Amino acid sequence: MTQPPHPDGFRIRPFLTGQTAAPQPEPVEDSPSGLRPFVLTAGRVAGVDPDIDLETQVTARPTEARRSARVPVGGLTPEQRAIIDLCAEPLSVAEISAKLRLHLGVTKILVGDLRAAGQVDVHTMDVKTSHDPETILRVINGLRAFT
Amino acid sequence: MDFVRSPEPVATTTAPAKPPIPVKIVVAGGFGVGKTTAVGAISEIHPLTTEAEMTEAAVGLDVPGATTEKTTTTVAMDFGCVTIDQSLKLYLFGAPGQTRFGFMWDGLAKGALGALVVVDSSRLDDCFAAVDYFERANLPFAVGVNTFDGRLAHGLDEVRWALAVRDTVPVFAFDARQRLSVRDAILVVLNLALDRATRGR
Repeated sequence: MTQPPHPDGFRIRPFLTGQTAAPQPEPVEDSPSGLRPFVLTAGRVAGVDPDIDLETQVTARPTEARRSARVPVGGLTPEQRAIIDLCAEPLSVAEISAKLRLHLGVTKILVGDLRAAGQVDVHTMDVKTSHDPETILRVINGLRAFT
Repeated sequence: MDFVRSPEPVATTTAPAKPPIPVKIVVAGGFGVGKTTAVGAISEIHPLTTEAEMTEAAVGLDVPGATTEKTTTTVAMDFGCVTIDQSLKLYLFGAPGQTRFGFMWDGLAKGALGALVVVDSSRLDDCFAAVDYFERANLPFAVGVNTFDGRLAHGLDEVRWALAVRDTVPVFAFDARQRLSVRDAILVVLNLALDRATRGR
């Protein structure tokens, strides 16, 4: 932050203007809260739901269904609420991770928690579906239509 | 003391739209070969990426090619997506090139249709790890030689010879900055995947 030079040739001391000219520490962007990954997962590093991959689609369950969920919204962490907010529309785990600036591993664990809590649906996809020749052909044709 | 209820997460009185089928392709290669550029050229979203400033610690370890002003590198992974239609979405995952991120590749390759190995022909050795990996994982892959400003340090035949890939592995030149060029590269990979899928029937 640079200040315009004072017309009289001297500079008002930064602390008098309430501005700090000193370099600000970089904001921690690891996560919305700036907490360390192990805090967000309550220390867990393993036990990821094996169904959850990078491209796995996640959707929030309807509000009505979530009211009667095993873990109510009040019992969720801010990160988990943020995930529910994002997943009003289907979103992949990778996108959730990038948008919330959460580590991928952390995201997987939190999504797994939310699934267990009955707050989100995790749409597991049979590999056969995405590796089906017809699916691949549709992708090819879709890409060919690019201009 | 008053308490205020935290706002309920917004959204969704009705069930959300049916999620699309995710189709996944890995974009791999050494450091600074243009993976992020390639993903960005075709993705409909700005590639979501975790780049970090190359620190002095990386100098000497991560050596970009001779003529580069690259000061950032992908330290986690980057990805983009292309919506084919409402029920089908193509995801491109750029795998971190450095061998030390090899542990991430299993997760990236799992369920992938195939892989595009991006190569800088002046630094071929950078892609050996990726080629090795996909051969062993038995994942269909194609080698795309990125033409930095239309320059190829070595011909495609020389690249094929140096990589010692099977004849069935396509080796071709493409421009990672051009959307259609990247699309064609992805199509090569998809055709390999289609071949495999129809033969597997």
